Order: sequence, then structure tokens, then C-alpha cells
Amino acid sequence: MSSLFNSTKTNPRGIPEAPFVEKVEDYIKKPTDFELVFNQFQEHLSKYKFMLESKNSTINQLNVRIPDIQNTLKICKSLLLQKNEAEDDENQEIEMNYQLNDTLYTKANVTTDKVGLWLGADVMMEYTLDEAIELLNKRLSDANESLTLAQEDAEFLRENITTMEVNCARLYNWDVEQRSKLRQVTKELSI
Amino acid sequence: MELLPEGKKNTVTVTYEDQQKINEFSKLIMRKDNLEKKLSKERQEKEYLDDVSLEIELVDEEELINYKIGELFIMLKQEKVVSLLEKDMAQVEESIDSLENNLSDLDTKIKGLKTDLYVKFGDNINLER
Repeated sequence: MSSLFNSTKTNPRGIPEAPFVEKVEDYIKKPTDFELVFNQFQEHLSKYKFMLESKNSTINQLNVRIPDIQNTLKICKSLLLQKNEAEDDENQEIEMNYQLNDTLYTKANVTTDKVGLWLGADVMMEYTLDEAIELLNKRLSDANESLTLAQEDAEFLRENITTMEVNCARLYNWDVEQRSKLRQVTKELSI
Repeated sequence: MELLPEGKKNTVTVTYEDQQKINEFSKLIMRKDNLEKKLSKERQEKEYLDDVSLEIELVDEEELINYKIGELFIMLKQEKVVSLLEKDMAQVEESIDSLENNLSDLDTKIKGLKTDLYVKFGDNINLER
């Protein structure tokens, strides 16, 4: 019975497409199968919902990370600007107020030749400004790309959830109809 | 979810094409929600920039100002900050424009789908919130 969901169609990331129920009878051969099939559809629906949730959390993470990268990039560019403008008068430092602690800011004179970037895994590397900007641009475009993909996936999942919800509703309605037919018949017989 | 009124039967069959339209509709609604969130954030940002560009005129040109980038403030001369703010403003306005365009495109599509689906399903479908 699980072959119902062995759809060959998937999206580019391998998420399977939900089957569309054209005729309920194609899925429920015997009235007694209803419970079983219906449960399978519901289970499948909740799997899609779970996937959508996890995609959404990826999207949220990226939505935090992208502004982070943009800000870092902006700082690097400001430093570079300061450096280029100050070339003549040897005044290559820039004064900043930076966050020392959650509620505490303090001033620092920052040199404009090198910056340290977190690479992850507790590793920080020192780069020249040009290199740092290049690296950050690369990271930014990567992050934007993953965001686009994640959004595509989320939309694909949304579509499939809708298909499955409609499927479930139709299976359910079908069952209600069958039962009322059955009641009708037994009523007539008992008279 | 609403139930059908007593004695009324839902006899409309959902075809594959209808399902595709319903899917498209739900996808576009989701996209619209996200765009609206982004747009309201950008509008807020624009408001802040509007305010600050007025205030900053009161400051002397040579004075150093804290210009915020991310979590830190860079000390810059007023004239520089003004030019940076102008750039920020242009960026925000551009982004608002493109978001608004996307949104109105979406609205047209959503409206088209709504009409199609209501024609087919009438009272049996609810596309409002």
C-alpha cells in the first residue's frame, strides 16, 4: 500500500511530489480499507508539514545570517574607504564605539589594514581588507543562493501540503457518503 | 474549517488542473505574507532614515557622529554621515519599490486564481481569511 506514495516525480532537491487523488475508488478498493488508507494519507501529510517546518527554520537562520554578512561587509568597506582617503595624511586609524558587553560600549581606534573574520569552528583568520571583502561577497552570494533554494523548497512543500489536505478532505467526505448510503440501505432493509 | 449546510452535497469534482490552481493559490498567499513582512520592515527603516536626515542637518559639518553599522558605531564627520545616509536611503527606496512591484504582480495573479476557483467551486471553497 505504501507504493501509493512512491511518486517518481520529485523537485530538484529530491522532495517527492504528493499523489493527486483523481478518484477515491482508485485508492480504496474495499470500504474496509478506508481507515488504513486515510491514516497513511494523514501520516504523509504530517511528514510534509514537518519538512516545511524545518525548511522554515533554515530560512529564518539565513535571514539572520545574511544581514550579518552584509553588515560585516559594510564595515570592511567603510574601513577601506577610510584607508584610501587617509592615504596622504597618514591618518589611517578610525575611531569606533564598539560593544564590549551587552550593555556596554567603549571607544577604540581601529587600524585599517587588516581584519579578522570568523571562519567557524572557533577559528578566526586575519585578512587584508580586499581579501576580506572578496571572501564576504562570496559568502553573501552563497547565502543568498541557499535562501532562494530553501524558499523554493518551502513553496514546493506548501503546494504538496495543499494537495494532501485536499486529498484527505476528499477521502473523508467519500467515507461519510459511503456510511450514509450504508445506513440508508440497512434502514430500508429493516422496514 | 466549515461544514456544508445540512442536506447540501458537494458534488463538484476536483480535477488535476483545479488542484494545481489551488496549490498555486496557497503558494502565492505564502509568498505574499513573506513579502509583506519584508516590506513593512523596509518601510520602518525608511521612516527612521527620514527622521535622522532631518535631525542631522542641525549638527555642525565638522562634528564627529556615531554612525551605526551592525553592532558598532563608527565615528565619522557629519558630511560623510550625510552622504552615507543618502546612500542608505536610496537603497531602502529601491528595495521598497521592487517589493511593491512584486506585491502588485502577486495580487493580480491571486485575483485571477480566485476568480477561476470561485467560478468552479462557488460556495464550496473559501479563499478568504
